[in-house]
Amino acid sequence: MDKKIILLKDSETSVSQDSTRDFYTLFANRVREDSLENEVQIVRVADIGIYNQGVIVKILPQNIIYCNVKETDISDIVDKTVKEGKVINELLFKTEPKQIRIVLRNCGLIDPESIDDYIGKDGYQALKKVLFEMTPEKVTDELKISGLRGRGGAGFPTWMKWKFTRESKADQRYVICNADEGDPGAYMDRSVLEGDPHSVIEGLTIAGFAMGASKGYFYVRAEYPLAVERVEKAIKQAYDYGLLGKNILGSDFSFDLDVRLGAGAFVCGEETALIASIEGRRGTPRPRPPYPSVRGLWDKPTAINNVETLANIAPIILKGGAWFASIGTEKSKGTKVFALTGKVKNSGLVEVPMGITLREIVFDIGGGMISDKDIKAVQTGGPSGGVIPKEFLDTPVDYETLQKLGSIMGSGGMIVMDESDCMVDIAKFYLGFCVDESCGKCVPCRIGGYQMLAVLNRISEGQGKISDIEKLKTISLAMQKASLCALGQTAANPVVSTIKYFEEEYKDHILNKKCRSHKCTHLLSYNIIQDKCKRCRVCVINCPVNAIEGDKEKGYYIKSEKCIKCGKCFEVCKFNAISKE
Amino acid sequence: MAKITKEDLDKIKQKNTKESPKSWIKVGMSTCGIAAGADVVFNTLIEEAKKRNIDIAVERCGCQGMCFAEPLVEVKTEGLPVVIYGRVNPEVAVKILEKHICSGILVKDHIYELRSKG
Repeated sequence: MDKKIILLKDSETSVSQDSTRDFYTLFANRVREDSLENEVQIVRVADIGIYNQGVIVKILPQNIIYCNVKETDISDIVDKTVKEGKVINELLFKTEPKQIRIVLRNCGLIDPESIDDYIGKDGYQALKKVLFEMTPEKVTDELKISGLRGRGGAGFPTWMKWKFTRESKADQRYVICNADEGDPGAYMDRSVLEGDPHSVIEGLTIAGFAMGASKGYFYVRAEYPLAVERVEKAIKQAYDYGLLGKNILGSDFSFDLDVRLGAGAFVCGEETALIASIEGRRGTPRPRPPYPSVRGLWDKPTAINNVETLANIAPIILKGGAWFASIGTEKSKGTKVFALTGKVKNSGLVEVPMGITLREIVFDIGGGMISDKDIKAVQTGGPSGGVIPKEFLDTPVDYETLQKLGSIMGSGGMIVMDESDCMVDIAKFYLGFCVDESCGKCVPCRIGGYQMLAVLNRISEGQGKISDIEKLKTISLAMQKASLCALGQTAANPVVSTIKYFEEEYKDHILNKKCRSHKCTHLLSYNIIQDKCKRCRVCVINCPVNAIEGDKEKGYYIKSEKCIKCGKCFEVCKFNAISKE
Repeated sequence: MAKITKEDLDKIKQKNTKESPKSWIKVGMSTCGIAAGADVVFNTLIEEAKKRNIDIAVERCGCQGMCFAEPLVEVKTEGLPVVIYGRVNPEVAVKILEKHICSGILVKDHIYELRSKG
């Protein structure tokens, strides 16, 4: 008989004292008393995936999970569950798995550099099914049933994009995989390309079949060297097997695939700019219509899909559109991968069904906040999205709801912010990113962004006027309405949404010259609290600009005109004798 | 390499679903893992296993999603559930080989996930 394994973990995230150690000793003693050492193995684990449910005890191989276990329960658990295999219902923890893995189905399970591994996991079975059992129309019909929408951010129904491209008359059509992931804090696409490149290649090939395109491109940003290396390797393997190239698997469908590298311009994630970049021109967008599905790459009909969208295709073909549509909400089907980052305990990739609440993502999957500071907001959609304050944590995550809240689904960046994050600073950061990345072709984006950033800088330096808030709103509206592409149209979103939910904080900066999160350095002042100061001179030595003067007798003080507010003295003082306000 | 037909595809599939060795170690080698030192852990596992004459397949895989706990090492041995160790450094890697692989004792404080079925 296999040994029983008992796992222990204190799941409280708020308490500083981890009681797992004490429980371990008690458990081990009890097991020894009953001479069960040879049948049972007790293990302290680092994380058990359940949070704020007291001490968790998990017993394998039966996979029984007990929560909120008290020291007095140990005897019961050993007597009933370990010895007799009975379940103690009062302690039982019941849960449904929060994550569903469709896109990340193989990530972390297979060797990404082995095509055989991928084939072993039903790889290229969907392609086979499409080539020998389905017509292009049937493929788009299946996608229509599935309700799959573009995962790049805008959420356009994928089947429509494919259908329009197929129905545009042309001698040549193209499909492009958009892997120019550029949102700060988002790296879902990179992980898929690095962990399971064949799933995207398969999706792309099916897309080619569905719209009669014989040529495809991977547009990957050059900053992802490992992803590029693995994609190139995977393409070569697929060619070797005849899963790309002429007469795939002996059918009469031929498809060629090539990699193009993006040189690091954020705007090249916009489809018309991306096309320009592949054609060898400067990566700037052009007005739409005509849409790429009518006139795209080299003026031929072109469909551009995001990495995550394409990774969804094979499972939909194999398991059916209805299966996919059974996951998620009425209008947003399936799952979404998020890169959960910021002030959250377990940062990483999560794949969740649409309609899950932000609270579930942050607290049940992410394990809650990293420090004892309270959550303030969640930012989604990167520089094109907005912040969602903690009051709305219980709203379901889908395309429409997030939009209603003034944010967007975006490509999947999700940044958790706590009380120490200043909303003016956040707006400044994202807008600064868009100003840097603006291609400069259209005026609203080029000038509007620049002027808004100037206003935000003024506010964060304590030079703001109360009319600035109105000014920001006016320029935002102009950018949203008049910019040429999505970059400019959405660049103002972080500003608009922070004003919408945190106008008080803006006013605090303007009227009271205060930054409550202590982020805006210009509004800070450092002082030495003489009663607490032990005159150890550590701050004096560490000050990079020699702004701390005085002597051992009279005490030390910070010369405000010299101080650059770097916070070094505050960090190094062991006696909390420096005040920051 | 000859081009495969649809029948060949199924053959390759069968071969690769059957042929999973009884014991293996997988190291998450995506950018997030490598940044946290997964390549050092990967090399340590191979070298130390060789030194100790442990016959085990050390493979690489992509990102599990638990980026906060990188480098991640997943271990499957007979009679034990699949264990995912996190925050693995070369020392823990050696412990995994000595305790988990050789004696069937799980290494405590580094387990992040455990699956009863492989």
